[in-house]
Amino acid sequence: MTTPVLETRNLSIWFGGLRAVDNVSFSVARNRITTIIGPNGAGKSTLFNLISGAIRPRAGGHVLIDGVDYTAQPPYKMQAAGLARSFQITNLFFNLSVAENLRLASQILEPWRMAWRPVSASKAALARVDELLERFSLTEKANYQAGELSHGEQRRLEVAVALACKPKVLLLDEPTQGMSHGDTQDTAELIKSLTSDVSVLLIEHDIGLVMSLSDHVIVMHQGQKLAEGAPADVRNNPAVQAAYFGHA
Amino acid sequence: MRDALTNSMRASHLLAFVLVVFALITAAVGAAMNDTFYLRLATEALIFAGLALSVDILLGYTGLLSLGQALYFGLGAYISALTLMQVPSFWAALLVAIVSGLVLGLVGGFIALRVRGVYFALITFGMAQVIAKVIYNTRALGASDGMTGVPIINVNLGITSISSASPAGFFLVVLAVTMVLYALVAYLLDTPFGRLLIAIKANDRRVPFLGYKATTLRLGSYVLAATIATVSGALYPMLRGFVSPELLFFATSGNAVITVILGGVGTLVGALYGSILLTVLKSVIGSWTEHHLIIIGLLFMGAVIFFPQGLMGVIRPKVAKWLSRGGKS
Amino acid sequence: MAGAIDYFQFVLAPQIVIGLVLGVAVILVALGLTIIFGLLDVINMSHGEFYALGAFISVSLAALGVPFWLLLILVPALMLPVGYVVERVLIQRVFHSPDRHVTTLLLTFGLGLVLEDVFRLIWGPNPLRLDTPIRGAIEVAGLFLPLYRVFMIGIGALIIIGTALVVYRTRIGAMVRAAAFDRNMAASLGVPVQLVYAGAFAFGVSLAGLAGVLLAPIYSVFPTMGRDFILMAFTVVIVGGMGSIAGAVIAGLFLTQVQAIASLYISPVWTDPIVFGIMVIMLMVRPQGLFGRLGHA
Repeated sequence: MTTPVLETRNLSIWFGGLRAVDNVSFSVARNRITTIIGPNGAGKSTLFNLISGAIRPRAGGHVLIDGVDYTAQPPYKMQAAGLARSFQITNLFFNLSVAENLRLASQILEPWRMAWRPVSASKAALARVDELLERFSLTEKANYQAGELSHGEQRRLEVAVALACKPKVLLLDEPTQGMSHGDTQDTAELIKSLTSDVSVLLIEHDIGLVMSLSDHVIVMHQGQKLAEGAPADVRNNPAVQAAYFGHA
Repeated sequence: MRDALTNSMRASHLLAFVLVVFALITAAVGAAMNDTFYLRLATEALIFAGLALSVDILLGYTGLLSLGQALYFGLGAYISALTLMQVPSFWAALLVAIVSGLVLGLVGGFIALRVRGVYFALITFGMAQVIAKVIYNTRALGASDGMTGVPIINVNLGITSISSASPAGFFLVVLAVTMVLYALVAYLLDTPFGRLLIAIKANDRRVPFLGYKATTLRLGSYVLAATIATVSGALYPMLRGFVSPELLFFATSGNAVITVILGGVGTLVGALYGSILLTVLKSVIGSWTEHHLIIIGLLFMGAVIFFPQGLMGVIRPKVAKWLSRGGKS
Repeated sequence: MAGAIDYFQFVLAPQIVIGLVLGVAVILVALGLTIIFGLLDVINMSHGEFYALGAFISVSLAALGVPFWLLLILVPALMLPVGYVVERVLIQRVFHSPDRHVTTLLLTFGLGLVLEDVFRLIWGPNPLRLDTPIRGAIEVAGLFLPLYRVFMIGIGALIIIGTALVVYRTRIGAMVRAAAFDRNMAASLGVPVQLVYAGAFAFGVSLAGLAGVLLAPIYSVFPTMGRDFILMAFTVVIVGGMGSIAGAVIAGLFLTQVQAIASLYISPVWTDPIVFGIMVIMLMVRPQGLFGRLGHA
């Protein structure tokens, strides 16, 4: 059996008496889309925070990338390990241009010594920016401030910024949140096209999207992993239905 | 596709060039008229411009308000004075100042960068006050009177040498040093390192997720700013022949902040123009009334409320626009 | 044993009293500072100048023949509208900018500069004195205590306790704490947030002015007195916790006692660096201070 690109084992964190994430273990298969769903407050974003290094799993557990233990490492080390994430609440550099947002995220592709040379010398990073602008249909808005973009464009930029560093595994936290139907469909196509380069771990609320995009679904409820499996299996699972609707 | 931040930096360079031209004209006129007072005043303005530059690196680019930058400026002045009294060499004093700035900046940064925002401002304020009081009470350093007797030195430039007693000559030396400092900082801020500082100011929470350690970047910025301030301070005793604890007091740090805000925070060249502006204001208003601080204070408050972008904050974007139209795309 | 008692009676106790005198004044100033920060999230860099303003006004009014007991009421009362105007006209203008902390800090720093020079303009640069209103001393348990200092400690303590009572036990205080905790929630519950902000600022500034009146007979009154005093006040606020009333009181007592007793053994010029050093260490180790914020405590 091949090593999963990302794996969590017994990941837990408690805030006071609240078990925000309780003993969650799962793995993300290479070049597949794994989606985490669950009612509000299920602990999905907290799980992302644990995996990406924003908070430490003080109540125990492990995070492994390609089989190597990266538990409790700070975000910059997780990035070096090949993990990138986007945020549920748009977290861009709002008063910088779209191009600059992407360039900042792409710079990590260049060797360290390029940090001391003029920005224009980092050709690889600049090429990556052009590539991303093209791929995410943001070329016309390249010189706009990120804060001036429409909500849908900002959400796209969120994903693009996360993807810029060519990660192994991409964590996307509700990327289509607040988007119009058309934008949502376009973004879904985009995410699907990503799997050739990266493995995706997605948090989503739109059930239609979850069904059509996912290769594997994990259901969380009250901090615990309730069920996992292929999309159709999960949908028909009575325990999952009970969690969402209060009854089977 | 032109990078907006690089464009702005180019506009700064153009404005800096204009300033240099004016400075050279000033030197020529002053020399021709055998003036001493105004040239020395202009030299002092440039020395304090260096301190303002160091404040702008932190405030305008990294998003940190330092209320105690005079600590490094004053220490640079004292260290320079002590060096010159042993070894009356311009280059030796500069070298010692650079090394001191790096070391002091590391130590100070280690202490101050535990916190950010308002707490950072207060901790830098506290650090400067503590050291200022220690020096004020240290007899070996001249206590409240400071140290006098810094010798006049000859700046050896190879083909020629300029005396620090020469008003126009030393003005040009200080102009050169200040512009080298400006050029160094301007260069660094248009590199990926500098852009990361700007990113920290824009949204420091995202930066670690891009793969960078924000604390290391801040420390780098802090050490750079400290060294700039120390080197600028080192020039002071060469000009005035003495050093005193006032150089570390809050008034000096405060003046630097006022300079940056009036001149234009985040423009670098605003620190230079701001220093000239403040010096001119102080002299002109000071000649009408003893209470020039009231007017300058009110101007400053007005700037904070109505004109937070400062003089260069208004002028530079216009220059940047003009440049990008005239330039090739 | 007798030596120890003598030491206590003639050396330590008087120093403790001196520490209390300073402590009470520092706490009054720090209280104003911490309330303003806890409620408005504003660092008032000009706070020391309001302390000085209180002292200067009392000197002038005393020269006109106003008796001291009246000054104690009049001067803080006069400071209230001053504070109110400053908050409404200046602070509110930058209150809603994204980097409010920095802009209000800069704005009040500028205000402090202006005020300091205004003092020089109106009252001149030389120190002024206010005559001690209560002369003489009393003897308590073998300790020789100047009456005015005892009086000052008493009045100061009363005001401090009164402030704490108002904040924690009255309806007005509840409104202040609610507005500090969650501005929008408080507003939707009918708390007149704008008025509360302006009132709190005015009150804080008025406390500083009162401290100025109380200390004027003991220390001299000069334009830069605010600048020297504010450092101790900031240290108290930081060590005690920005926005914490209990913190201001405890840290204020502690730090002034440290300074008073330390000056017995170390040259007084070194006690200032020690106190500021405590502030720096506190900011490094526990930036939020000993206690929580107003409303959160």
